[in-house]
Amino acid sequence: MLVGVDWAGVAQQVVAGLSSGGTYATLAVALVLIYRATGVVNFAQGELAMFSTFVAWTLTRHGFAYWPAFLVTVLASFAGGIALERAVIRPVERASVLTIAIVTIGLFFIVNGAAFWIWSPEVKSMPNAFSTRPIRIGGVAFAISDLGIIGVSLLAVLLLWLFFRFTKLGLAMRAAALNPESSRLTGIRVSWTIALGWGLATALGAVAGLMAAPPLGSFDQNFMQPILLYAFAGAVLGGIDSALGAVIGSLALGVFLNLLGTYVSWVGTDLRQAAALAVILGVLLVRPAGLFGKLAVRRV
Amino acid sequence: MRAMGKSRVLFGVFGALVVVSAASAGGASTPGVTSKQILIGGTTPLSGPASAYAAVAKGADAYFKYVNDHGGVFGRSIKYKYEDDAYDPSQTIQRTRDLVQNEKVFAIYNTLGTEQNLAVRSYLNQLKVPQLLVASGASTWGNDFKKYPWTIGYQPSYKGEATIYGRYIAKTRPNARIGVLYQNDDYGKELVAGLQRGLGQKAKLIVSKQGYDVTDTDVKSQIARLKSKKANTLMVFATPKFAIQSYSSARLLGWRPLVFVNAVSSASNTMTIAALASSKRQTEGSISIAFNKDPVNPRWKGDKAVTLFRTILKKYNGGQGLTDVYNVYGMSSAFTLVDALKHAGKNPTRASVMRAVTHLDERNNPFVLPGIVIRTTPTDHFPIAQARLERYHNGNWVYFGSIVHIG
Repeated sequence: MLVGVDWAGVAQQVVAGLSSGGTYATLAVALVLIYRATGVVNFAQGELAMFSTFVAWTLTRHGFAYWPAFLVTVLASFAGGIALERAVIRPVERASVLTIAIVTIGLFFIVNGAAFWIWSPEVKSMPNAFSTRPIRIGGVAFAISDLGIIGVSLLAVLLLWLFFRFTKLGLAMRAAALNPESSRLTGIRVSWTIALGWGLATALGAVAGLMAAPPLGSFDQNFMQPILLYAFAGAVLGGIDSALGAVIGSLALGVFLNLLGTYVSWVGTDLRQAAALAVILGVLLVRPAGLFGKLAVRRV
Repeated sequence: MRAMGKSRVLFGVFGALVVVSAASAGGASTPGVTSKQILIGGTTPLSGPASAYAAVAKGADAYFKYVNDHGGVFGRSIKYKYEDDAYDPSQTIQRTRDLVQNEKVFAIYNTLGTEQNLAVRSYLNQLKVPQLLVASGASTWGNDFKKYPWTIGYQPSYKGEATIYGRYIAKTRPNARIGVLYQNDDYGKELVAGLQRGLGQKAKLIVSKQGYDVTDTDVKSQIARLKSKKANTLMVFATPKFAIQSYSSARLLGWRPLVFVNAVSSASNTMTIAALASSKRQTEGSISIAFNKDPVNPRWKGDKAVTLFRTILKKYNGGQGLTDVYNVYGMSSAFTLVDALKHAGKNPTRASVMRAVTHLDERNNPFVLPGIVIRTTPTDHFPIAQARLERYHNGNWVYFGSIVHIG
């Protein structure tokens, strides 16, 4: 190949990056959701998504088609998320953010271990949600599934925005997160709005897992861990309290990492994850609120 | 304690010099050997990311139980203690020390993983504890026996395997444009080196090499890169998860190269998932090597060894893993160990078992492909150095060509 830039190659890497970024995006939105509802970053978010994915996988093994399994799993995850919050987070609800974060780290290991215990460790495969037939436009190949995944994460953002903006419950949840004490005084059951936040985030995590797993071709109990790291980076880049920012941040991150890994030879594959961490660090240093977030102002 | 350790060391040296007298004096003083039992141990990932490989230990254990129910070896039963290291070398060290010092095993056997075995190799050799039939394809087990005389591998080396692919391509596809996807560690790099060795003068047929890390989410970017280099032949030097992804990612790009998939990932189970995740056309024509009988392959329908394999798993492993070639691997390894123990004499010592595993001439192992002889000499420490090429056709592997030597 000559020195000239191979534009089709670059475009293909951008498409591959958007498609990877799409799988980070939905999980990133789930992270944002819990953060907004409770002010905590949920380290177990990826493992909960993995667990939901395995539930759906089990359903598809018992004759469910993809979409019915999807629906059942998302509803079950919503209920599971609420139950989990009641059982595990409730007892430490008023403890410091650090305590709750550490509880979620514990949850990470428990959920991962449980999944290994319940399901055998061999790699699994899921039917695809969307058609994977390759489509070519100007030398760049992509599949309907790539668009579908990005579409689903944008749809999730839209629904959440509508929920928070136009429903009483959404308003109550925003209020409870912003100022728990005053909210209690106005009659909002803060403890339950937190549980609801967990339910929504766990359901969204299920969506993320179910979008991410099929196009990977194969997945195991650890498949969400790198995705969680990239979702964190994406969410921080977009602004940890902005859902739309999380989606845009994740897509940008996917493209950025692919181009970096492909065309900057010393980064290669070794430093892709390090680059994701560098993004987190860089954003926190230069623009802590991220691209779309609002800087938190706290009264002392 | 100290005195005992010393006498054990002395005993090892003595045994190496005078096998006959050591054998007659042995019995009582050889660790792990009593009049009724031979205790061996090893580690395996029962939990963690690599726990699919646990079948290697479970298959072996089931076979020992079967042997024990049929009289054992010279009246002794074989007890195989395999412990979980979660594929973490630091845990391998802990568990192995415990097996050697507290459990007083006769030998370490079938421990799984390259890093894991490297982590305990010096320790075991210092104490002169045999490290038998290491479950890893790194070539160091066979190459470095002068420095580590108490260690021996089992399966064909990764380097040798890729050499076969290289030679095959050099001979049959002179116009190939080879793209390589490899795991960015010792295992993947050894395969790449083997490929280059096999291609020899034709090494320039390789148009691009793309590595991935075990921690990567996917290999989309790497596959897109290989396609953009106009490769028409894809080497997949990757573990099952990533091998399956290579197929599905290539399909999403509308790219259908000839795929060479390394033996680590070419079990029928894995290929079935790969075909589901991509398409039947995508996996059709893939090439790999095999040395164990794959229990799912219709070629072995009604085969005595595969029938025995199923019976043993049903009786001693709760019927688990009937379609899993890793279990077959475990049984073939256990068969070889039993063979070696039989040749190690009525009163086996650590030295006599080392002598036996370096003088193997096993033509009757039913779990490997017919025609493969498991052979070692004092200067050739690669027990399985033969295999057959196979091509994936209509959802099954079909062997082609004669037995190839993996040097």
